[in-house]
Amino acid sequence: MTTTTDTATRPPTAIDGAKGTAGSGGAARRDPRPRRVDRTHFMFLIPALVLFTLAITVPAVTGIFYSFTDSIGFGEFSFVGLNNYLVLFSDPAILSSYGFTIGVALSTVVLVNVAALALAIGLTSHIRAKTALRTVFVMPMVVSGIIIAFVFQFIFSNTLPAAAGVLGIGFLEESILANPSLAWIAIVLVTAWQATPQAMLIYIAALMTVPKDVYEASAIDGASPWKQLRSITLPLISGFVLINVIIGFKDFLATYEIIVGLTDGGPGTATRSVAMTIFTGFENGDYAYQMANSTIFFLITLGIALIQLRLTRGSARI
Amino acid sequence: MFSARRRGHHPSTHTPRPSALAPSALRSSASTASPLSRRTLLGTTGATALAAALSGCTGSLGGGGTADISFHQSKPEVIPYFGDLLAEFNEENRGSIRVSHDTASGLSAGFARGNPPDLGCLNYNYEMVHFQERGALRDVSDVVNEFDIRPSIQDLVDQYPTYPGRTSVIPYSMMAAAVLYNEEIFAEHDLEVPTTFSEFIDVCETLEENGVTPLYSTYGDPWTVAQGIMDYSLGGAIDVAGFFERLHAQGEDAGPDSEVSFSKDFREPLEKMLQISAFSQPGAASRYYGDGNAAFARGDAAMYFQGPWALNDIATANPDASIGIFPLPMTENPEDRKVRVNLDLALWIPEDSNHPEQARELARWLMDPDIADPYNQDNLAFGVREDSPDVEDPRLKDLQTYVDRAAFYQGVSKAIPLTIPFENYSQGIVTGQSLENTLRTLDEDWARLARR
Repeated sequence: MTTTTDTATRPPTAIDGAKGTAGSGGAARRDPRPRRVDRTHFMFLIPALVLFTLAITVPAVTGIFYSFTDSIGFGEFSFVGLNNYLVLFSDPAILSSYGFTIGVALSTVVLVNVAALALAIGLTSHIRAKTALRTVFVMPMVVSGIIIAFVFQFIFSNTLPAAAGVLGIGFLEESILANPSLAWIAIVLVTAWQATPQAMLIYIAALMTVPKDVYEASAIDGASPWKQLRSITLPLISGFVLINVIIGFKDFLATYEIIVGLTDGGPGTATRSVAMTIFTGFENGDYAYQMANSTIFFLITLGIALIQLRLTRGSARI
Repeated sequence: MFSARRRGHHPSTHTPRPSALAPSALRSSASTASPLSRRTLLGTTGATALAAALSGCTGSLGGGGTADISFHQSKPEVIPYFGDLLAEFNEENRGSIRVSHDTASGLSAGFARGNPPDLGCLNYNYEMVHFQERGALRDVSDVVNEFDIRPSIQDLVDQYPTYPGRTSVIPYSMMAAAVLYNEEIFAEHDLEVPTTFSEFIDVCETLEENGVTPLYSTYGDPWTVAQGIMDYSLGGAIDVAGFFERLHAQGEDAGPDSEVSFSKDFREPLEKMLQISAFSQPGAASRYYGDGNAAFARGDAAMYFQGPWALNDIATANPDASIGIFPLPMTENPEDRKVRVNLDLALWIPEDSNHPEQARELARWLMDPDIADPYNQDNLAFGVREDSPDVEDPRLKDLQTYVDRAAFYQGVSKAIPLTIPFENYSQGIVTGQSLENTLRTLDEDWARLARR
């Protein structure tokens, strides 16, 4: 949803820009034609706008409307004001699902970006079989999340405990999926495993934008590789880091199928995410209440999107 | 795109619900030949957004007076079976009714769009209650009376919230579940089927002393906990339907300290349950349904708390396994033993059906003893009529007397709205979380739901 927000907000800016140049530039050149926007711009804009309105805006507004009712998704309903929201904020299950989801999203973002940057640096250096390695590392991206989750469920509950038994690593002999205080780590690891390639690709592109000569110059000045990374590479790709962090965070907030496949919210309710709570509610006639939950969740994501727009405007232009 | 819809090939193509993402569902949807071509599928999916806005195009009277009706049936194991039945029905009614088999669309979405199936044939559980309770289903008491359905089975429908003055659901097929046990292991150690709780514990202790794992548990899958040990323990100890009736009667006053509450009524049976679950194999918390079927078929443990749906998998893994079944005794009185049942399939016709008469005709055809009885025999289920023949499968024969005496209950896990994560709570209890705290949470969830 939020990625669509990006594409949908961008076309208008492009048009605005075009309008600006067409208007002012035209005036400067004393263009005889009347000031109007080329129709082609609209033709590019309209399909996206229509689809976005029908598929995103209308359902979203309808959903927000229903969050003030007691609807079960169909049939009669009555207005209940803010009741759904009030109950929501006193529901420990909802609050803990937010805590869990945000915690997992933050940890995953850190892990994904560290791993992706490391891989990207490795894969842009002078090594053999670069292309083959890149292909290997991109593979997790193209496998469906639910399949990854089931495969890892097997690894965590059979392979890992067996290996730990042989090696004598006591705390791993019991599956970490069965441990309420460790299961989240499995979810972070698997989500990161799947999400790293995309971030890695962005970082590879980013590293290619850094001119070679700055490295040469700094090498002559005696900068160590670590110093180069901190003082040259990172500042020059900071815009990309920001994009990866923000996009990743939004994606990880909505994590669903990895959790369904790995733990199904368990053990107990230790790994129930917000998306899972919302979905179970929809399926089972708790429509209006979970609409209220979705609205809150939407506002949080919207907040993040706004921060993103703000920051990317300030920092390096991409 | 719209013509495909109007011709009614597949009125409500929808992405399958993620709840259908269990491996078995994936497998069977892949193996089932869908009548739907890829082009229609893509076209319809693409049209869904627009179609939702223009919901006018749901009528489906094709040319020549043929009524197109849709039949929703998504139990993965029997999709091919019903596919064959419908082909037969379509052949018999050529020129007047044509049924399309809808195996995947989202029910709630269908009702919300005013475009539900004409005839539904689904597991009767809490998901259905919302439609029934708000009067979205037609009265079908005439069909129920016509087929002389056992009152004890029709009563199961009424244990959920109903719509006043209506019979909204026709029971079709009932499944009975109890403790599965390995007859060879029992014979080897001279063990009788236990009839009281203390006998059950004795059996477990004897097995353990002889180095046999008494019970195989798959606590990694929350549903296996809720439908297995949890439902059996509670159903064997308390009057489930009565408990929920009293709980509902309390309305908004429900809570951990109210007169009727989970904390009060469930505590003792669940303490006994924890005594039983202690006889599980080590590492049960990271074992799953598939592991359990394979291990029990191999004879890794003497008992297994699963329903008849697992019998096919067990037989596939080990055709020689000799499996018996008995209700879990939770009291010291053998008369208290009861089996867990559920309406595995039930028929209903939505108010919004465009062809209720044709749907009724299909319902009657399916209810006919010549169709319904073979279905139930083939699928390890019990018939619902007074004159339904006894179950023939030797593994299930012992349960027939319980069904005849109506010594059965619907599981607690199926009487709690699914928005309360009861399955997860059950998993928590058997994997070491505090019973007292979990029951308190359950009470608070229930009260919160009552207040909304």
